[in-house]
Amino acid sequence: MDLDANRSLIVAALVRIPAGDRAALQTVYRLTSAKLFGVCLRILGERSDAEDVLQEVYVTVWRKAADFDAARASPMTWLIAIARNRAIDRLRATKHSRRMDPIEAADDVADSSPVADRALESAQDHARLQTCLDGLEARERAALRGAFFDGNTYEDLAARMSVPLGTMKSWIRRAMIKLKTCLQQ
Amino acid sequence: MSDMTDPMPEDELLAAELALGVLAGAQREAAERRIAREPGFARLVAAWEERLAPWAAEIDEIAAPPAVWDRIAATLPAGSQSAGWWQSLAFWRGLSLATGALAAACIGALIYLGNAPQKAPLIAALDGGGHRHFVATIDTRSGSIAVQPAAFSADATREPELWLIPADGKPRPLGMLRADRAVSITIPADLAALTVSNAVLAVSLEPPGGSPTGQPTGPVIATGKLTSL
Repeated sequence: MDLDANRSLIVAALVRIPAGDRAALQTVYRLTSAKLFGVCLRILGERSDAEDVLQEVYVTVWRKAADFDAARASPMTWLIAIARNRAIDRLRATKHSRRMDPIEAADDVADSSPVADRALESAQDHARLQTCLDGLEARERAALRGAFFDGNTYEDLAARMSVPLGTMKSWIRRAMIKLKTCLQQ
Repeated sequence: MSDMTDPMPEDELLAAELALGVLAGAQREAAERRIAREPGFARLVAAWEERLAPWAAEIDEIAAPPAVWDRIAATLPAGSQSAGWWQSLAFWRGLSLATGALAAACIGALIYLGNAPQKAPLIAALDGGGHRHFVATIDTRSGSIAVQPAAFSADATREPELWLIPADGKPRPLGMLRADRAVSITIPADLAALTVSNAVLAVSLEPPGGSPTGQPTGPVIATGKLTSL
Protein backbone atom coordinates (compact mmCIF):
# COMPACT_ATOMS: atom_id res chain seq x y z
CA MET A 1 0.00 0.00 0.00
CA ASP A 2 0.95 3.62 -0.16
CA LEU A 3 3.27 4.38 2.71
CA ASP A 4 2.37 8.05 2.67
CA ALA A 5 -1.36 7.50 3.07
CA ASN A 6 -1.27 6.91 6.81
CA ARG A 7 1.13 9.76 7.34
CA SER A 8 -1.31 12.20 5.73
CA LEU A 9 -4.19 10.84 7.78
CA ILE A 10 -2.23 11.12 11.03
CA VAL A 11 -1.11 14.67 10.28
CA ALA A 12 -4.64 15.71 9.27
CA ALA A 13 -5.93 14.42 12.60
CA LEU A 14 -3.07 15.71 14.77
CA VAL A 15 -3.56 19.27 13.62
CA ARG A 16 -7.20 19.19 14.73
CA ILE A 17 -6.47 18.08 18.28
CA PRO A 18 -5.44 21.49 19.69
CA ALA A 19 -8.99 22.71 18.95
CA GLY A 20 -10.30 20.08 21.36
CA ASP A 21 -11.44 17.57 18.76
CA ARG A 22 -11.76 14.22 20.54
CA ALA A 23 -12.62 12.42 17.31
CA ALA A 24 -9.26 13.57 15.93
CA LEU A 25 -7.44 12.03 18.89
CA GLN A 26 -9.41 8.85 18.38
CA THR A 27 -8.34 8.81 14.73
CA VAL A 28 -4.69 9.16 15.74
CA TYR A 29 -5.22 6.39 18.27
CA ARG A 30 -6.79 4.03 15.73
CA LEU A 31 -4.01 4.62 13.25
CA THR A 32 -1.04 4.45 15.61
CA SER A 33 -1.84 2.70 18.90
CA ALA A 34 -0.83 -0.79 17.76
CA LYS A 35 2.61 0.49 16.85
CA LEU A 36 3.03 2.51 20.01
CA PHE A 37 1.73 -0.34 22.15
CA GLY A 38 4.38 -2.56 20.55
CA VAL A 39 7.03 0.05 21.41
CA CYS A 40 5.87 0.37 25.04
CA LEU A 41 5.58 -3.38 25.48
CA ARG A 42 9.02 -3.92 24.04
CA ILE A 43 10.59 -1.57 26.56
CA LEU A 44 8.44 -2.45 29.57
CA GLY A 45 7.82 -6.15 29.07
CA GLU A 46 4.62 -6.17 31.12
CA ARG A 47 1.29 -5.70 29.40
CA SER A 48 -0.29 -3.87 32.32
CA ASP A 49 2.62 -1.39 32.46
CA ALA A 50 2.51 -0.96 28.70
CA GLU A 51 -1.25 -0.29 28.81
CA ASP A 52 -0.82 2.36 31.51
CA VAL A 53 1.95 4.03 29.56
CA LEU A 54 -0.01 3.86 26.31
CA GLN A 55 -2.79 5.78 28.06
CA GLU A 56 -0.26 8.39 29.24
CA VAL A 57 1.11 8.65 25.71
CA TYR A 58 -2.23 9.63 24.18
CA VAL A 59 -3.06 11.97 27.03
CA THR A 60 0.31 13.60 26.29
CA VAL A 61 -0.57 13.73 22.58
CA TRP A 62 -3.86 15.42 23.51
CA ARG A 63 -2.05 18.04 25.59
CA LYS A 64 0.93 18.62 23.33
CA ALA A 65 -0.47 18.22 19.82
CA ALA A 66 0.06 21.96 19.27
CA ASP A 67 3.82 21.33 19.58
CA PHE A 68 3.79 18.98 16.62
CA ASP A 69 5.17 20.70 13.53
CA ALA A 70 4.37 18.77 10.38
CA ALA A 71 6.89 20.82 8.44
CA ARG A 72 9.70 19.68 10.68
CA ALA A 73 8.92 16.20 11.93
CA SER A 74 7.26 13.06 10.72
CA PRO A 75 4.19 12.28 12.81
CA MET A 76 5.34 8.75 13.59
CA THR A 77 8.75 9.99 14.71
CA TRP A 78 7.05 12.41 17.05
CA LEU A 79 4.66 9.78 18.41
CA ILE A 80 7.32 7.07 18.77
CA ALA A 81 9.54 9.51 20.66
CA ILE A 82 6.70 10.28 23.09
CA ALA A 83 6.01 6.56 23.56
CA ARG A 84 9.68 5.71 24.12
CA ASN A 85 10.13 8.60 26.54
CA ARG A 86 7.05 7.76 28.60
CA ALA A 87 8.02 4.08 28.65
CA ILE A 88 11.58 4.89 29.71
CA ASP A 89 10.28 7.27 32.40
CA ARG A 90 8.13 4.44 33.74
CA LEU A 91 11.06 2.04 33.60
CA ARG A 92 13.32 4.45 35.50
CA ALA A 93 10.63 5.18 38.07
CA THR A 94 9.80 1.57 38.85
CA LYS A 95 13.00 -0.38 38.78
CA HIS A 96 16.03 -1.10 36.70
CA SER A 97 15.68 -2.14 33.09
CA ARG A 98 13.67 -5.20 32.31
CA ARG A 99 16.34 -6.85 30.23
CA MET A 100 19.66 -7.26 31.96
CA ASP A 101 20.90 -10.52 30.46
CA PRO A 102 24.46 -10.37 29.13
CA ILE A 103 24.84 -8.98 25.61
CA GLU A 104 27.35 -10.70 23.36
CA ALA A 105 28.22 -8.41 20.49
CA ALA A 106 28.54 -11.45 18.24
CA ASP A 107 24.89 -12.29 18.90
CA ASP A 108 23.70 -8.99 17.55
CA VAL A 109 20.95 -9.70 15.07
CA ALA A 110 17.84 -7.86 14.07
CA ASP A 111 14.73 -8.79 16.04
CA SER A 112 12.58 -9.59 13.07
CA SER A 113 14.86 -9.43 10.11
CA PRO A 114 12.30 -8.77 7.37
CA VAL A 115 10.70 -5.57 8.47
CA ALA A 116 7.00 -6.24 8.53
CA ASP A 117 6.02 -2.67 9.12
CA ARG A 118 3.71 -1.89 6.28
CA ALA A 119 1.82 1.13 7.26
CA LEU A 120 3.61 3.52 9.50
CA GLU A 121 7.27 3.83 8.76
CA SER A 122 8.97 4.13 5.48
CA ALA A 123 10.87 0.97 4.61
CA GLN A 124 13.40 3.18 2.84
CA ASP A 125 14.22 5.09 6.01
CA HIS A 126 14.68 1.83 7.85
CA ALA A 127 16.94 0.40 5.14
CA ARG A 128 19.10 3.52 5.23
CA LEU A 129 19.44 3.40 9.00
CA GLN A 130 20.16 -0.31 8.86
CA THR A 131 22.95 0.23 6.33
CA CYS A 132 24.56 2.76 8.64
CA LEU A 133 24.11 0.52 11.69
CA ASP A 134 25.75 -2.29 9.76
CA GLY A 135 28.74 -0.02 9.32
CA LEU A 136 29.29 0.19 13.09
CA GLU A 137 31.34 -2.26 15.08
CA ALA A 138 29.22 -5.15 16.35
CA ARG A 139 29.68 -4.12 19.99
CA GLU A 140 28.59 -0.55 19.23
CA ARG A 141 25.53 -1.77 17.36
CA ALA A 142 24.67 -4.18 20.18
CA ALA A 143 24.92 -1.39 22.75
CA LEU A 144 22.69 0.95 20.73
CA ARG A 145 20.21 -1.88 20.29
CA GLY A 146 20.06 -2.49 24.04
CA ALA A 147 19.40 1.20 24.61
CA PHE A 148 16.78 1.62 21.90
CA PHE A 149 14.82 -1.61 22.30
CA ASP A 150 15.33 -2.50 25.97
CA GLY A 151 15.48 1.01 27.42
CA ASN A 152 18.90 0.32 28.96
CA THR A 153 20.93 3.09 30.61
CA TYR A 154 24.68 3.51 30.27
CA GLU A 155 25.04 1.64 33.57
CA ASP A 156 22.78 -1.20 32.39
CA LEU A 157 24.71 -1.56 29.15
CA ALA A 158 28.09 -1.50 30.88
CA ALA A 159 26.86 -4.32 33.14
CA ARG A 160 25.31 -6.34 30.33
CA MET A 161 28.43 -6.10 28.19
CA SER A 162 30.89 -6.37 31.10
CA VAL A 163 32.84 -3.20 30.37
CA PRO A 164 33.57 -0.15 32.52
CA LEU A 165 31.01 2.67 32.40
CA GLY A 166 33.51 5.03 30.74
CA THR A 167 34.14 2.51 27.98
CA MET A 168 30.42 2.13 27.32
CA LYS A 169 30.00 5.92 27.13
CA SER A 170 32.77 6.24 24.61
CA TRP A 171 31.40 3.35 22.52
CA ILE A 172 27.95 4.91 22.36
CA ARG A 173 29.16 8.43 21.70
CA ARG A 174 31.53 7.24 19.01
CA ALA A 175 28.74 5.15 17.47
CA MET A 176 26.37 8.14 17.40
CA ILE A 177 28.98 10.30 15.66
CA LYS A 178 29.55 7.61 13.03
CA LEU A 179 25.83 7.11 12.63
CA LYS A 180 25.18 10.78 12.01
CA THR A 181 28.01 11.02 9.50
CA CYS A 182 26.75 7.96 7.64
CA LEU A 183 23.12 9.18 7.58
CA GLN A 184 24.21 12.54 6.15
CA GLN A 185 25.73 10.90 3.10
CA MET B 1 30.91 16.94 6.26
CA SER B 2 32.76 15.55 9.22
CA ASP B 3 34.67 12.36 9.29
CA MET B 4 34.02 9.82 11.99
CA THR B 5 36.82 10.99 14.22
CA ASP B 6 35.62 14.58 14.31
CA PRO B 7 34.21 15.50 17.66
CA MET B 8 30.53 16.33 17.94
CA PRO B 9 29.55 19.35 20.05
CA GLU B 10 28.77 18.33 23.63
CA ASP B 11 25.17 19.55 23.33
CA GLU B 12 24.56 17.39 20.33
CA LEU B 13 26.04 14.34 22.07
CA LEU B 14 23.77 15.01 25.03
CA ALA B 15 20.81 15.29 22.64
CA ALA B 16 21.79 11.96 21.08
CA GLU B 17 22.04 10.32 24.50
CA LEU B 18 18.66 11.67 25.51
CA ALA B 19 16.99 10.55 22.28
CA LEU B 20 18.58 7.12 22.54
CA GLY B 21 17.44 6.84 26.15
CA VAL B 22 20.72 5.97 27.91
CA LEU B 23 20.53 8.77 30.48
CA ALA B 24 19.00 8.24 33.89
CA GLY B 25 18.12 10.15 37.03
CA ALA B 26 19.18 13.75 37.42
CA GLN B 27 21.05 13.76 34.10
CA ARG B 28 17.93 12.73 32.19
CA GLU B 29 15.75 15.21 34.06
CA ALA B 30 18.18 18.05 33.46
CA ALA B 31 18.38 17.26 29.74
CA GLU B 32 14.58 17.08 29.51
CA ARG B 33 14.26 20.49 31.18
CA ARG B 34 16.60 21.97 28.58
CA ILE B 35 14.20 20.87 25.81
CA ALA B 36 11.52 23.13 27.25
CA ARG B 37 13.86 26.09 27.74
CA GLU B 38 16.18 25.94 24.74
CA PRO B 39 14.68 25.67 21.24
CA GLY B 40 18.13 24.99 19.78
CA PHE B 41 18.63 22.01 22.06
CA ALA B 42 15.08 20.82 21.37
CA ARG B 43 15.89 20.80 17.66
CA LEU B 44 19.01 18.71 18.24
CA VAL B 45 16.96 16.16 20.19
CA ALA B 46 14.25 16.11 17.51
CA ALA B 47 16.88 15.53 14.82
CA TRP B 48 18.22 12.53 16.73
CA GLU B 49 14.70 11.18 17.27
CA GLU B 50 14.19 11.43 13.51
CA ARG B 51 17.41 9.52 12.84
CA LEU B 52 16.58 6.72 15.28
CA ALA B 53 12.81 6.38 14.80
CA PRO B 54 13.02 4.20 11.65
CA TRP B 55 14.53 1.51 13.89
CA ALA B 56 11.07 1.11 15.44
CA ALA B 57 9.99 -0.49 12.15
CA GLU B 58 11.44 -3.69 13.63
CA ILE B 59 8.91 -3.61 16.46
CA ASP B 60 5.74 -5.51 15.63
CA GLU B 61 2.37 -3.82 15.94
CA ILE B 62 0.32 -5.22 18.80
CA ALA B 63 -3.33 -4.29 19.21
CA ALA B 64 -3.98 -2.65 22.56
CA PRO B 65 -7.05 -3.82 24.50
CA PRO B 66 -10.14 -1.66 23.82
CA ALA B 67 -10.26 -0.64 27.49
CA VAL B 68 -7.19 1.57 26.95
CA TRP B 69 -9.07 3.89 24.63
CA ASP B 70 -11.99 4.01 27.08
CA ARG B 71 -9.59 5.12 29.80
CA ILE B 72 -8.06 7.76 27.55
CA ALA B 73 -11.50 9.05 26.54
CA ALA B 74 -12.49 9.27 30.20
CA THR B 75 -9.61 11.67 30.90
CA LEU B 76 -10.55 14.07 28.09
CA PRO B 77 -12.56 17.14 28.95
CA ALA B 78 -16.28 16.63 28.46
CA GLY B 79 -18.10 18.63 25.83
CA SER B 80 -15.80 18.09 22.93
CA GLN B 81 -17.32 15.97 20.22
CA SER B 82 -17.11 12.26 20.79
CA ALA B 83 -18.69 10.89 17.64
CA GLY B 84 -16.87 8.16 15.79
CA TRP B 85 -13.93 9.41 13.79
CA TRP B 86 -15.55 8.45 10.51
CA GLN B 87 -18.48 10.70 11.32
CA SER B 88 -16.29 13.73 11.66
CA LEU B 89 -16.83 16.01 8.72
CA ALA B 90 -13.43 17.59 9.19
CA PHE B 91 -11.84 14.16 9.05
CA TRP B 92 -13.26 13.48 5.63
CA ARG B 93 -12.52 16.98 4.52
CA GLY B 94 -8.92 16.42 5.58
CA LEU B 95 -8.89 13.31 3.47
CA SER B 96 -10.04 14.90 0.26
CA LEU B 97 -6.57 15.03 -1.16
CA ALA B 98 -5.49 15.24 -4.72
CA THR B 99 -8.90 15.53 -6.27
CA GLY B 100 -7.52 17.82 -8.91
CA ALA B 101 -6.74 14.85 -11.13
CA LEU B 102 -10.39 13.82 -11.21
CA ALA B 103 -10.71 14.89 -14.81
CA ALA B 104 -8.13 12.35 -15.92
CA ALA B 105 -10.04 9.66 -14.11
CA CYS B 106 -13.25 10.78 -15.81
CA ILE B 107 -11.69 10.31 -19.21
CA GLY B 108 -10.66 6.82 -18.19
CA ALA B 109 -14.14 6.16 -16.95
CA LEU B 110 -15.70 7.38 -20.18
CA ILE B 111 -13.61 4.89 -22.07
CA TYR B 112 -14.43 2.24 -19.54
CA LEU B 113 -18.10 3.02 -19.75
CA GLY B 114 -18.08 3.23 -23.52
CA ASN B 115 -20.91 0.76 -23.86
CA ALA B 116 -22.60 1.44 -20.56
CA PRO B 117 -26.18 2.64 -20.30
CA GLN B 118 -26.59 6.37 -20.39
CA LYS B 119 -28.50 6.90 -17.16
CA ALA B 120 -26.37 9.13 -14.93
CA PRO B 121 -23.32 7.05 -14.18
CA LEU B 122 -21.34 8.15 -11.13
CA ILE B 123 -17.61 8.16 -10.68
CA ALA B 124 -15.21 8.54 -7.79
CA ALA B 125 -11.44 8.69 -7.79
CA LEU B 126 -10.30 7.10 -4.54
CA ASP B 127 -7.25 9.00 -3.40
CA GLY B 128 -5.17 9.11 -0.25
CA GLY B 129 -1.74 10.38 0.64
CA GLY B 130 -1.46 12.18 -2.67
CA HIS B 131 -1.95 9.02 -4.69
CA ARG B 132 -4.81 7.51 -6.64
CA HIS B 133 -5.54 4.03 -5.31
CA PHE B 134 -8.72 3.06 -7.16
CA VAL B 135 -11.23 4.47 -9.60
CA ALA B 136 -14.86 3.51 -9.03
CA THR B 137 -17.61 3.85 -11.57
CA ILE B 138 -21.23 3.22 -10.78
CA ASP B 139 -23.86 2.14 -13.23
CA THR B 140 -26.91 3.43 -11.41
CA ARG B 141 -29.27 1.70 -13.84
CA SER B 142 -28.01 -1.81 -13.14
CA GLY B 143 -26.95 -0.91 -9.59
CA SER B 144 -23.36 -2.09 -9.86
CA ILE B 145 -20.00 -0.59 -8.98
CA ALA B 146 -16.87 -1.36 -10.96
CA VAL B 147 -13.65 -0.62 -9.09
CA GLN B 148 -10.37 -0.52 -10.97
CA PRO B 149 -7.09 -0.57 -9.07
CA ALA B 150 -4.86 2.37 -9.99
CA ALA B 151 -1.73 2.65 -7.88
CA PHE B 152 -2.93 0.42 -5.08
CA SER B 153 -0.38 -2.18 -4.04
CA ALA B 154 -1.28 -5.18 -1.98
CA ASP B 155 -0.65 -5.54 1.71
CA ALA B 156 0.63 -8.87 3.01
CA THR B 157 -1.95 -9.32 5.72
CA ARG B 158 -4.82 -6.95 5.07
CA GLU B 159 -7.25 -6.53 2.22
CA PRO B 160 -8.90 -3.41 0.87
CA GLU B 161 -12.59 -3.08 1.71
CA LEU B 162 -14.89 -0.59 0.01
CA TRP B 163 -17.34 1.50 2.04
CA LEU B 164 -20.18 3.78 1.10
CA ILE B 165 -20.53 6.79 3.35
CA PRO B 166 -23.75 8.63 2.56
CA ALA B 167 -24.92 11.95 3.94
CA ASP B 168 -25.54 10.51 7.42
CA GLY B 169 -21.82 9.79 7.77
CA LYS B 170 -22.20 6.12 8.64
CA PRO B 171 -20.03 3.77 6.60
CA ARG B 172 -21.80 0.84 4.92
CA PRO B 173 -19.70 -2.09 3.71
CA LEU B 174 -19.89 -2.65 -0.04
CA GLY B 175 -17.37 -5.41 -0.56
CA MET B 176 -13.75 -6.41 -0.88
CA LEU B 177 -11.48 -4.99 -3.57
CA ARG B 178 -8.52 -6.48 -5.38
CA ALA B 179 -5.10 -4.97 -6.07
CA ASP B 180 -4.58 -6.99 -9.23
CA ARG B 181 -7.84 -6.61 -11.13
CA ALA B 182 -11.12 -4.73 -11.40
CA VAL B 183 -13.92 -5.88 -9.15
CA SER B 184 -17.62 -5.52 -9.87
CA ILE B 185 -19.93 -5.21 -6.90
CA THR B 186 -23.70 -5.24 -6.91
CA ILE B 187 -25.04 -2.48 -4.69
CA PRO B 188 -27.36 -3.91 -2.02
CA ALA B 189 -30.95 -2.82 -2.65
CA ASP B 190 -31.16 -0.91 0.64
CA LEU B 191 -28.13 1.19 -0.31
CA ALA B 192 -29.20 2.04 -3.85
CA ALA B 193 -31.04 5.18 -2.75
CA LEU B 194 -27.96 6.34 -0.83
CA THR B 195 -25.59 5.85 -3.75
CA VAL B 196 -25.88 9.36 -5.12
CA SER B 197 -23.73 12.34 -6.01
CA ASN B 198 -21.68 13.64 -3.07
CA ALA B 199 -21.83 10.37 -1.16
CA VAL B 200 -18.31 9.24 -0.31
CA LEU B 201 -16.58 6.00 -1.15
CA ALA B 202 -13.75 4.98 1.16
CA VAL B 203 -11.26 2.13 1.24
CA SER B 204 -9.94 0.73 4.51
CA LEU B 205 -7.51 -2.09 5.14
CA GLU B 206 -9.19 -5.00 6.90
CA PRO B 207 -8.50 -8.58 7.88
CA PRO B 208 -8.98 -11.07 5.03
CA GLY B 209 -12.69 -11.44 4.34
CA GLY B 210 -13.52 -7.98 5.59
CA SER B 211 -14.11 -6.02 8.76
CA PRO B 212 -15.41 -8.31 11.51
CA THR B 213 -17.44 -5.48 13.05
CA GLY B 214 -19.31 -4.07 10.07
CA GLN B 215 -17.41 -0.80 10.54
CA PRO B 216 -13.92 0.11 9.34
CA THR B 217 -11.38 -1.30 11.80
CA GLY B 218 -8.17 -0.60 9.89
CA PRO B 219 -6.69 2.56 8.46
CA VAL B 220 -8.68 4.37 5.81
CA ILE B 221 -6.25 4.69 2.94
CA ALA B 222 -8.32 6.32 0.24
CA THR B 223 -11.55 8.25 -0.21
CA GLY B 224 -13.40 9.95 -3.00
CA LYS B 225 -16.69 11.69 -3.55
CA LEU B 226 -19.18 10.37 -6.09
CA THR B 227 -19.69 12.74 -8.97
CA SER B 228 -22.13 12.62 -11.85
CA LEU B 229 -20.54 12.20 -15.21
